[in-house]
Parts: sequence; C-alpha cells; structure tokens
Amino acid sequence: MADPRTGGPTRRTLLRAGAGLLAAPAVLRPAQAAEQITIADNGGPYGPAFRKAFYDPFEQATGVKVVNVVHPPEPTAQFKSLVDTKSTIWDVVLVSPGHVWRLAKPKNYLEPLGLTPAEAPGVMPEMIWPGYLGIDVFATTLAYRTDKYGENGPQSWADFWNVQKFPGRRALYKQATGPMEIALMADGVEPSQLYPLDLDRGFRSLDKIRKHIAVWWGSGAQSTQLLQSGEVDMLMIWNARAQAAIDGGAPAKVVWNQGLFSSDGWSIPLGSPKAEIGKKFARFCTDPARQAVFTEFLSYGPTNLQAYDRIDPKRAALLPTYPSNLKLMRQSNDEWWGDNFQRVSERFEDWMLSG
Amino acid sequence: MSGARLSLAAPGLLPAIRRVRLVNPLWLAVPGLLFLALFFLYPVARLLLLSLQDADTGALSVASYSRLFSRNIYVRVLQNTFTIAAQTTGLCLLLAYPVAYWLTSMPARRRQSLLLLVLLPFWTSALVKAFAWIVLLARTGVVARLLADVTGSAEPVEMLYGRGAVLMGMVHALLPLAVMTMLPVMTQIDQQYLRAAQTLGAPRAQAFWRVFFQLSMPGVAAAGLLVFIASLGFFITPTLLGGPKDPMLGPLIITQIQTMLNWGFAGALAAMLIVTALVTCAVYDRVFGLSTVSGGTGRQREGRSWLATLGMAGLALVANLHGMLSERLARLLGGHRFNWIVPAIACTVVAFMVLPILVIFPMGFTSSRFLEFPPPGYSLEWMATYFGSEMWITATLRSFGVAFATALATTALAGLAALGVARGQGRGGGLIFGMFLAPMVVPHIVCAIALFYLFAQMSLVATDAGLIIGHTVMAMPVVFVTILAILKNYDWRLDQAAATLGASRSRALRRVTLPLIKGGLAAAFLFAFIWSFEELTVAIFIGGGLKTTLPKAMWDDMLLQVNPTLAAVSVVVVLIVVSLFAVAQRLRRE
Repeated sequence: MADPRTGGPTRRTLLRAGAGLLAAPAVLRPAQAAEQITIADNGGPYGPAFRKAFYDPFEQATGVKVVNVVHPPEPTAQFKSLVDTKSTIWDVVLVSPGHVWRLAKPKNYLEPLGLTPAEAPGVMPEMIWPGYLGIDVFATTLAYRTDKYGENGPQSWADFWNVQKFPGRRALYKQATGPMEIALMADGVEPSQLYPLDLDRGFRSLDKIRKHIAVWWGSGAQSTQLLQSGEVDMLMIWNARAQAAIDGGAPAKVVWNQGLFSSDGWSIPLGSPKAEIGKKFARFCTDPARQAVFTEFLSYGPTNLQAYDRIDPKRAALLPTYPSNLKLMRQSNDEWWGDNFQRVSERFEDWMLSG
Repeated sequence: MSGARLSLAAPGLLPAIRRVRLVNPLWLAVPGLLFLALFFLYPVARLLLLSLQDADTGALSVASYSRLFSRNIYVRVLQNTFTIAAQTTGLCLLLAYPVAYWLTSMPARRRQSLLLLVLLPFWTSALVKAFAWIVLLARTGVVARLLADVTGSAEPVEMLYGRGAVLMGMVHALLPLAVMTMLPVMTQIDQQYLRAAQTLGAPRAQAFWRVFFQLSMPGVAAAGLLVFIASLGFFITPTLLGGPKDPMLGPLIITQIQTMLNWGFAGALAAMLIVTALVTCAVYDRVFGLSTVSGGTGRQREGRSWLATLGMAGLALVANLHGMLSERLARLLGGHRFNWIVPAIACTVVAFMVLPILVIFPMGFTSSRFLEFPPPGYSLEWMATYFGSEMWITATLRSFGVAFATALATTALAGLAALGVARGQGRGGGLIFGMFLAPMVVPHIVCAIALFYLFAQMSLVATDAGLIIGHTVMAMPVVFVTILAILKNYDWRLDQAAATLGASRSRALRRVTLPLIKGGLAAAFLFAFIWSFEELTVAIFIGGGLKTTLPKAMWDDMLLQVNPTLAAVSVVVVLIVVSLFAVAQRLRRE
C-alpha cells in the first residue's frame, strides 16, 4: 500500500504543505516519548477493569503514563495499517489468537515479546506465544433460561439439538466460528477430536436444527438482550455476555460442558519505537495479583491460575479458567480457523441463504 | 419535461448570454473536484487496484474476480442487496411523498417546527435506533403484548429478525433523507401554476397529478437515487434486525477487510458494489430522467420521447381515475372530499419516525441496567454517568465542532460545483455530477482505509482536521444533490430580470438568487452536519481512538453491552439540537 515507488518528491512535498495548512503541526507525540504509552483495548467494561488491574499499577510502578484508547472488535485491519505506514499511534494492542494468526502469517506484523513460560510462573503455557501474551480467557458456552427449564435445562449441545426433550426458542451466532464446532459436538464428535473440522458432517448436523433457530444473533450486546428479555429460551453465547444478563437479574444459567475457550492478550505492532516499554508492560500483566483484580469487573478467567488464591470463591466459580469449569471445555483452534475461515464462511453464508 | 417546466432561456436570448459569460461556470466545480481527486479518487483507486494484484508478488492478477464469480454466494448476496435496496427505496418514496407534500402546504413557520420532528430520528445513532426497535418489537415487548390483548391470541407475533424488520429499520433510517430531498423542490413549485390550472378548468385531481406531481419529480428522482445508493451500503440494521436470508454486501466487505485482511478481495467486492450503483444510475437516468437533476440542458429529452409520452399518458390515466373516484365518493357521501387523508397519512408516517425516539427518552432515565420499555423504574444514574464523564463530554463537543466545520466546507465546495453544473454548458456537467456522487457509492470502510494510508503520509491520522476532511468527502454527494435539485428548479429568468434592471452578476446572486435558495442551502448544510455527526467508520480509522467522536464513543460502549448511558446520551443530544433550532428560529424572526 504505502508503495515507495508511487511517491515522487514533488507531489509529496505538495501533500505535506497541504497537510500542514490543514492540520497544524501534528508532531505532538514524539516530544514526550519514554514517559507515555498508548494501549488500545476492547473498551466497554474492559477499560475500567484494566485501568484498575494493570494501567494504574503500572504507572505507579514505573512512572510511565498509560493512555488507553478503544479499538474496533476486529482490530487487525488497523494493526496492519499502523505497521505498514509506521504510524505509531498505538504501542500495545489487545488482540485474540484469531487475530494473531492472521497478523503472523503470511507476513509478520508482530513484535516478538521475548517471554518464556519459565519467566511467568502460574501462567497457562498455551497463553505464551512469541508475539502474544494471553491475559484473560473467555468461553463460548450454552446458556438457558431457568424460568423455562428450572435447574435441569440442556446440559450439552446434543440437548440443544434435542427439540423433543427441550422444546423452546433457540439462538445461534450468525457466523461460522462457533456454530460449526457446536454442530459437530451435537452430532457426537468428541471435543478433543474436533479439529480439523469435518465440514460435511457439520453442515448435515446444522440442517437438522435450522428450522428451530428463532434468532441468528449478530453482536455480543444483542445476545445479552436475547437472554435478558427472554426472547429465546436457550442460546450459544459468550460467557461474560450471559453473566451480564444474570448479574442484571435475568433467571439464566451458563453451562460449561462442551464450551470452547479462547483468550484476549497483548501484542505489540512490529517496529514500535516503544516496544521495550510495551514488553515491560506485558510482563507486568502476568502477575497473578494484578490479574485477580480484573475478575471483579469482567467475568473472564485469569490466565495465571495462581490468581485464584486471591479471588472470592463465589466469583471464581463463574470464571472460565476456574479448574472445574476449565476441565469441561476445550480450546478453540484459532490456527485452523486462520487457515480455513474464508472457505468455511463462504460455505456457511451460502448455507444460511439456501435454507 | 412538459411545457409547464420553464426552459432555461428563450432561444433568442442564449447567444447574448453566452457573450456576456466569458468563463464557463463549470469552472466553479474545480475546487470541489480537486478536493475529491486528492482525498477520494486517488486513495480509493490505489486501494481498489489491489484487487487486480497478486497479494504476494504484486503482479497483475484477476484471481480475486474469478473467485467472486466462481462461488455463487457473492452474486446471490449482491442480488439480495439490490432487492433490499430497491424495496427500501420504493417504500421510502411512497411514505415520504405525502409527508413532504403535506409540509409544503403549510405556512413556513409551522413547516420549520414540523421539520424538526421529521429530523429527530437523524440525531440518534443507528445502533441505538436498532436496539430501540428490538426492545419495542421483541416477542416479550410492548407492541407484542398490545397485539396479543387486541387479538386475544396467546402466541406472540414474530415481528423481528426477518425481511420485514430489516425494511422497517432501513426505511425508518432513510425517511428523513427522502423527505428532506423532496421538500425543497416541492416548496419551490409556484402555487400559481396550480391556481392557473384550476382557473382553466382543471379539477383538483388533474391539477395535482398533471402539474404539481410532475414538477415535483426532480425531487422524487433525487430522493430515490440517494436512498437507493445509501441503502446499498447498510450494515448495522440488516445485521441486527435481519434473519438468515437477509445478508447484504456491506457486512461481507467489512469482514474481508477487518477479519480476513484480504483487501484485494474486499476491493473486488467493493468494485462489484460500485458497478451495481453505476449501472443503477445509468438505468435510472434512462427511465426516470436523472438528467432533470444532473443538468446538461441539451440532452434532457433526447431519445426518450416515447418514454415521456408514456409517462404523461400514465399520469393522465392516474389523474382521471383519481378524479372519477373522488367525484363518485363525493356524490355518495354528500360532498365529503377526504381532505383529511393526506394529513392523516403524513401524520402517521411522522409518528412512525418519532416513535423510537419517544421510547429512547424514558430509557435514558431507567433504573434498570438494560434497555427495557417501559422501564421498571426511574433514576438519574445514567444521566449522571454521562455528565460525570470527561470522555463523553469531550466526545460530544468534538462531534459538534467537527460536524460544524464539515458542514461549512461541504456546503461551500458542493454549492459552488452545483452552481457550476446548473449554469454551465457542455458535456462536463455529467462527469462532474458522477464525481460528486461517487463517494456515496464506495463503501465507507473502503474510503476510511484508503484515507488512512493517505493521511498517514500527511501526518493527518488522529487529528480533527483528518476527521473533517474524511467527513467532507462522505457528505459531499447528499449536499451536492440537494443544492443541485434546488438550482435546477430555480427560475433563472429572475436573475436575467435583475440583470436587465442593471444588477451586476454578483449582486444578482447576492440579492436575488441566494435569498431564494437559502432554504435549500440550509437543508444541505444540515445534511452535512448530520452526516458528520452520525459518521462512524472514518471516526474509527482516522480518529484512531485518540480523537473520539460521539458515535465512536457510543460504538465503543455498546460493543459488548448495551447500557442505558447510550439512551441518556441520545436524550441529551436531541435536547441540545432542539434548543439550537429553537434559538435559530427565534433569531431569524427578530
């Protein structure tokens, strides 16, 4: 994109002059280098939670000021643009493994963090990658209304597919990631044997449930609304979105069995001038005492399991990495999705239209 | 159009005018064209070229396009997008026309106040409106309960998550645009023509269909085009209110860019959308006469005479039917004329437009953590959250500032260009028209990313100036079309009269033209303001999270959780805007 061949000096000078007229000097940032980093996170409930758990304590410990901004739910396009154009407006970015795979290949956009599992005792080893450090874990789960089914609602995806035993309105996510795995588990595939996904079998299974899906939801906020208002009786939902409805008084329950978990964590744009401070910050976030703090505000699990020593047991039972919950779930294979998303989602969209 | 339409100048006058006019007015479009060339055409073309390159080697390749046509899903989604856009346009025109007509028939001051009502939904973010509909029309919602009480059926009606809901949401979002585009053209129609027609013996139905309706067609055509093209790129409403069978191309392009990082393929999809829009423009031109809006006096009717004849015959038929029907009914009902029907329809439409806003108001004062209607109780918690947050206040102020600057810049650039096109000669007019309309056709996300790369070279990323430039590009089409529609309908003989009486051209412009078209200019200014005030994609990319506007702040807040702060924000914004309008009206009166 930023092709050096297309930019002749004359035109560029012209552009600069024009820009100067319009923008006034935009050389605000380099002046304060070293004392400040900008961290882009998911916003909403994340901002205050991470401020308390990580940003403020890091400021106190190092004297580096943390400015936090919000990026869109899919920050990869912006991440890529930042690196391509060397616009270093973000120094550390909250991403998910799904993003990381797409940012690592075919071209690498990630600064190596240089962290080894030995340096972060207690952190789940699968959360430490060359260019990524997972700090919180979320899960894709089944949730149901207890005013409809009592305490004995559906306990597995096979139950979700069983419309005779559990009549009621159902909702699924409008995209392929999640519903494909769920359909396979409903059809009897062991969670440990899911990947690579058997697509033909998955779509055959989806065919069976299609006409019982009342709503295909498109955003996390919408899924909370569906559960909270009772628009549907059971649905596939991200655990924290279900917890938000439950915390707000909705009679509902999260089923951990056959859940799929994934994580959020820190990556640094390749070539960031503040990479060293960024790495220091990432390392700071492995501290179990720090991780325990965000669980008060976000229903996500800490990646450092030692954090559970400091979390109220009642709260701990609601978090995805709580040992008894974690052992019922498996990790979503984001590398497989990185390689196959395009192909699978084309087929999924086609299937949706053909019903 | 017919003889009732005023031709530009009597044939004998034309050479005289040409002599006076040394410079072709088309040159007035140059500043706007340069602006669009630099901030739109160049960056977008650079991005679209990626669709013709191999991602790894950069060599020329048509792989993206062969993929597009080898999977039937993309063509199907395109058909779907096209159908939804066409349905939305049809409904919008049908509903907006009586409203605009009704507004035209009332005194100016009352019209201004009512316009405020029509514009209300425009001031609320598309996301908040979508959630208002979800709350209202849910299976457990208030409308369903009312219906159940009325019909006595136990099984609630399914109103959401299907084509009906998508169309309702989109029509609701675009109705203000349609009304506002039609209105200036309608108010400019000289009521004397109608009186003249009636004096010559035409019954009311004939006068309406053959004179007023016909003269209002440029406004209807402009509204139809704008609504259609705007609906091609919709993504929030179909995503939230649609079922599995309502996918549109906009979300697919966004997925390719944001999730897949496959910008070459996104470019190919965007190119498909752009081609669709261009073909539509061409067909529209052929059938409905876009040229009545786009200018180029010489080519107004060529080759379409049979269509024009057909259209006139159709109108005559409608007029006769209408006349006959109303006569019969009047005789049956003892002279009752149904004069209340148009106001009744218009009021119903306006009520539909205002409804979600009425729902949002109480939700801003709810005691619940969720958007619920009616709220279980009331509290000031969410208002306190808004006013206690520096982030919200800064974002609100920035949005107003950026929108004001955008509106000034857009009205100036597009206004000059529209004047040039309306008064200029030669084939350039059509080209300029296409260029000014183009930003509307290109999906916002494509524009935003293209601009990001350009702005990165110019140090404009994360600056207010960057936001203003981006918004000016986006707002250009609506503003241009609005002003042009006004100018095309403007009777230029008034200027000639002024010139005959000794006024210089600038004086005629200042004392005659501007005062007469100021309603249209105000509408255009307002459009640009609203466009910027509502804009999200550029705000995300160019603002970089560091320069946060109100829609961006709302978007950030509702990604995972819709909380009533958003309703509180909407309430505050609506109140601010309403009081600004009230003050402006008071000032104008004094």
